[in-house]
Amino acid sequence: MLKQLLAAINDAGYVSKPALAAELGRPLVLVEEGFAALVRMGYLAEDAGAGCVDLPCGKCPYASMCQKEPVQMWKITDKGRDLLANMQRAG
Amino acid sequence: MSITIALVGNPNSGKTTLFNALTGSNQHVGNWPGVTVERKEGQVRHGNTVCRVVDLPGAYSLGAFSEDEMVAREFILTGNPDVVINVIDATNVERNLYLTTQLLEMGAKVVIALNMVDEAKEREISIDEKALARRLGVPVIPTVASRRNGLEQLMNAALAVASAPRNGHVRLSYGESIDDKLAKLTNLLKAGRWDYPSGWLALKVMEGDEYVRKIVADEQSMQRSKEFLRLWDEIAANEDYYQLEIVDSRYRFVGEVTQDAVRRPAVAVETATDKLDRILTHKYWGIPIFAAIMFVVFQLTFAIGQDFLGEWMASAVEYIGEFLESLLLTVNAPQWLVDFTGNGIIAGVGAVVEFVPLIVILYLLMGLLEDSGYMARAAYVMDNTMRAVGLQGKTFISMIVGFGCNVPGVMATRTLESKKDRMIAILINPFMSCGAKIPIYLVFIAAFFPAYGGAALFAMYALGIIVAFIMGKIFSKTLFKGEVSHFIMELPPYRMPTLGTVLRSMWDNVSGFLTRAGTTIFAVVSLLWVLAVLPGGVEPYGPESILGQIGLAIAPIFKPAGFGTWQASVGLFSGIAAKEAVVATLGMVYAGVEEGMELVMSIREVFTPLTAVSFMVMTLLYTPCAATLGTIRKETGSGKWALFSALYSFGVAWALAVVVFQVGSLLGFA
Repeated sequence: MLKQLLAAINDAGYVSKPALAAELGRPLVLVEEGFAALVRMGYLAEDAGAGCVDLPCGKCPYASMCQKEPVQMWKITDKGRDLLANMQRAG
Repeated sequence: MSITIALVGNPNSGKTTLFNALTGSNQHVGNWPGVTVERKEGQVRHGNTVCRVVDLPGAYSLGAFSEDEMVAREFILTGNPDVVINVIDATNVERNLYLTTQLLEMGAKVVIALNMVDEAKEREISIDEKALARRLGVPVIPTVASRRNGLEQLMNAALAVASAPRNGHVRLSYGESIDDKLAKLTNLLKAGRWDYPSGWLALKVMEGDEYVRKIVADEQSMQRSKEFLRLWDEIAANEDYYQLEIVDSRYRFVGEVTQDAVRRPAVAVETATDKLDRILTHKYWGIPIFAAIMFVVFQLTFAIGQDFLGEWMASAVEYIGEFLESLLLTVNAPQWLVDFTGNGIIAGVGAVVEFVPLIVILYLLMGLLEDSGYMARAAYVMDNTMRAVGLQGKTFISMIVGFGCNVPGVMATRTLESKKDRMIAILINPFMSCGAKIPIYLVFIAAFFPAYGGAALFAMYALGIIVAFIMGKIFSKTLFKGEVSHFIMELPPYRMPTLGTVLRSMWDNVSGFLTRAGTTIFAVVSLLWVLAVLPGGVEPYGPESILGQIGLAIAPIFKPAGFGTWQASVGLFSGIAAKEAVVATLGMVYAGVEEGMELVMSIREVFTPLTAVSFMVMTLLYTPCAATLGTIRKETGSGKWALFSALYSFGVAWALAVVVFQVGSLLGFA
């Protein structure tokens, strides 16, 4: 499931967990777990941001004027890209 | 008779509630040796058996990623519990079963407490406990620990399993090649002396568990076995592959176990979000659709904000001005105060406040887009374009924030991890049309392009984005070279915007606008009024006033751009304090030129359509306001970058304004 998930993320170009769950025929919770596992093993990385992490939005004086819906970003790491390349080679 | 029961489960699975329900007040708390993890133990008598219950720390897996995981697995493997009760959250079975698979791999005697079944029922999740038990090979007992439901059956099952020789649970397969290696390694490890089962050690070695690998590597007897060393090197060379296959096998196992045994409410295979996204995030149509949506937003802003509400607000400002003037005359206030109030504050601050209805409508519509989840799509459809010009897709999020105000826009660049991406995003953010620039556009649009208000406003926003892209590309090729970070955006599901959220979002922006009008703009207008009437004896608001002299000194700079008047120059100069001050200053200086004349009428007499466009381009792009420059200094940690931002943006704005005017003149638009 994890390899297919990584390939599906790469193919889609964006992450929509419900769409990935439907594509892989897995429950959404399992797809969310898959994300966590791929992050844990270093195939996928969450964009932590540079400074907002230490400053909860509620305490930021500009929070009310900022993006109301924070956008979560993911990155396929070099290790993940190697895996995708190997998968492609293996057909 | 006495036995030891270990309680293990994911955080929030209700494990501690179950522990409290089982042991009541008969418990004590300490620490696990060598770590700061809390150790909770209690006692419960069930029939003739005294059960020592150990509440292990909550964990999602039994790897070596945290102290909690280490403590839990160490106790299960070496603490000799007679039975392990694995508490599973019935509303999240799939996730919780990952830990269960690891318990089975350890060879532990397991009983599953399927907890919170009442909540699962409420959420219409149906679970076939018998099917689960059959597939896992362990008893599965439904419980509601908070109501003490199912505890009797759970204890019965735990005692039965504890007294039985071993669970008849299933073994996981990790694929033929890994299973073979695992069997060989397990065999070889049997020669060593361990506190852990050799099968589990072999699995952990193949999974790349650093803690276990060290234990095995340190064992002398293993070092003497050539066969072991050969296998060890082979495993090390393919560590990533084995780890992924093993973890993947566990998820596959969980999928097989839960298939048909756990049923959730039917969710359409293709959600409305998916259907919408197929159109709105289309590779080719995504950007035109985004542009069309924004165009409609600006058209509506004009149609509602100007045609319906604009006149009403202008009349209100005029009425307040007349009322204050007559009040001051009635109380025999000095002439300078009457003049300051009428020609200074009302003409200046009032000129800004008149545009509040348009600002309200614009941010109301933007709030609707944002609350619906569309803005994340806008960032996504721009992603490819952004990347093509050397910018990271997420930069567009900070640009969208900059549409409200450049200060939070610059701060929003904090979400960019790479320093290079962040510096570029900071330097291009002021090109976004913030709320403070809108009154400037609106005055000139009302004067020259009233029939094309929406299109003109749209063009200003689009130009800001295009210039930002071009400068981003130049920066990424010169000052901040390097690869573009390749990030993938997660799109949240669409949702119906809620009135409360949209109104709050609109109010946040409008209140900021009004606050600036009542503080910064008031202060700037007051200062400029003093400069406009001094020195005594000269004609107020005339070229001989201090303000006029400042304007005359700057004006030649703007002559090639077509608006080299002292009024336009002081307007731009004051805009560095705050962009709204441009309109406030123009309102004041033109009100002084011709008493009682509306700002729009005055502008129509002084500017031409071409110089109006040139002036709008200048105000869109030139030096950021003082607050934004201060934020750039703070966020880059250097006054040099703030100075650079001030100068380069002025240069870009001036060059483009000159191009607009000169090319327009050549084409006969002058």
